[in-house]
Amino acid sequence: MNYNRIRALIGKELREFRANPSVIIPVLIVVIISTILPIVIVVVIPKTTGQSLATDRGMQQALERAAAWMPALANLPPQAAAEAFFFQQFLFVFLIAPVVGAVSLAAYSVVGEKQGRTLEPLLTTPVSTAELLVSKALASFMPALVLEAAGLAAYLALVAAIGSPGVLDVLLTRRTLLLVGVLGPFAALAALQATIAISSRVNDPRSAQQISVFLVMPLIAMFVGQISGAFVVTTGVLALMTAAIGVAWILLVLLSVALFDRETILTRWK
Amino acid sequence: MISADRVSRRFGDRLAVDDVSFEVQAGEVFGLLGPNGAGKTTTLRMLGGLILPTSGSVRIAGQPFTRGNGGSLRARIGFLTETPGLWDQLSVEENLRVYAQLFSVSNPGRAIERILRMLELWDRRADRVVLLSKGMKQKLALARALVHEPRIILLDEPTANLDPQTARTVRDLMRDLRADGCAIVVSTHNLDEAERMADRVALVSRRLIAVGEPALLRREVFGRRLRVGLLASVRPLADFVGVATRAGAHDVRLDGTELSMVLDAPETGPPAIVRALVEAGAEVRAVFDDEPALEDVYLKLLSRGGLT
Repeated sequence: MNYNRIRALIGKELREFRANPSVIIPVLIVVIISTILPIVIVVVIPKTTGQSLATDRGMQQALERAAAWMPALANLPPQAAAEAFFFQQFLFVFLIAPVVGAVSLAAYSVVGEKQGRTLEPLLTTPVSTAELLVSKALASFMPALVLEAAGLAAYLALVAAIGSPGVLDVLLTRRTLLLVGVLGPFAALAALQATIAISSRVNDPRSAQQISVFLVMPLIAMFVGQISGAFVVTTGVLALMTAAIGVAWILLVLLSVALFDRETILTRWK
Repeated sequence: MISADRVSRRFGDRLAVDDVSFEVQAGEVFGLLGPNGAGKTTTLRMLGGLILPTSGSVRIAGQPFTRGNGGSLRARIGFLTETPGLWDQLSVEENLRVYAQLFSVSNPGRAIERILRMLELWDRRADRVVLLSKGMKQKLALARALVHEPRIILLDEPTANLDPQTARTVRDLMRDLRADGCAIVVSTHNLDEAERMADRVALVSRRLIAVGEPALLRREVFGRRLRVGLLASVRPLADFVGVATRAGAHDVRLDGTELSMVLDAPETGPPAIVRALVEAGAEVRAVFDDEPALEDVYLKLLSRGGLT
């Protein structure tokens, strides 16, 4: 691996994204929804309807179950506990933002080269397939991660500003760090690597995005399962998932390098 | 400097290039001529290490391309692809800078300035590529192929779609590169262009039909042709057809006041023919070589091979 070549290609990708900001719109939408939606559900709706979440019977049962893996809830008043529970659940949505962002950018970055017929000149250089794909993966990963971090910071700031006292402290745990700081980025890496593999086999970015959208399904299932009480994703389970996704990412890197056949690209891409 | 040794390339059932061999030396421009689908681009891609031959080998300074050394050999080649393939949203300079970095150019700024000034694009360096004309894009693509000062240069249709002035700039640049000792392979289906640029040409139509200097290929196919312009004479001009034939020419034709013929002895024939005509009473006003267009050579060679 030649890191100067990787750096040159990442710089090129980032300049292209900057020149074509429409490619980051999907991730911006997800980040904005992820930030605003929980605030609306947990704070705005109860305030406008006058019905407290804490008095809901289903909510009380959910809080009793959650206390087993979130002991800090027991120390909060009912309204604050309900808010903390919901805000914690919605952190899962922040896993979706970097995945959507990475998928959107990666699909554009490979298929965009194909459509612009810019890949053949690139393949005349000494750049290796692995360098090319790693550059594309990292260039898509970085903006997605920045947007995730910005969204999360905005989310926590809103929780601190609008939520009941003590709610923010419940969110700032190792579990949260593992969820959004490690599992999220790994999920994004795996998703974008899969997208790159898919992109080298399809002819337009939308096809790649449409196929890759299935990658967010497990995350949505996890979010729905946990918020409905069907199962609990404990810190241990999160750590295992992180490790599994990390391994999946490495396998996907190898797969995408294998699928990215230079000769096929040159002779069959139209 | 660069050679193809019995190179063939198959795509599935289709044989795109069949048993092609040639060698290009430093300081030589070599033209690959052929109709669309003749395998020119495939041959160039094999020379550039973009695809490997199914059989045979391509060598760069004696080293064959393999799956393992493609990167290091490609670093020594400048390749102008058939389509410019530029990043439209980046500036002229940004496009070149990425390539300079990919080729590990030690001083990218200086290399970029040098090549942009050479191709008269320096004033447009900050413009986004999408704003450039087709000709400028082609020149920028050429600049990109040359930014790392390669000694082996492969050009796929370098003057296609260029206006005459830009095409001349490109040809002048190629002459300079040849004078600097670069080995240049140019693919084209423009025969006039090939004749202007190439020291030697290879006629390909999947396989190699002929290779050599354009003038020699002409002579090989058509022989040395001579045209003799005559003034009106007391004798019917048609009489001089027989005179020329007896003096050492064949295929002699009278076209208006001009005789055209193929010489039996290419090097010694013209003086003998002219002398015989004058002695027979002809008034000769001009004598010149009758060079058939390279296109005629090309078509004749293709028809000989049963390819037209």
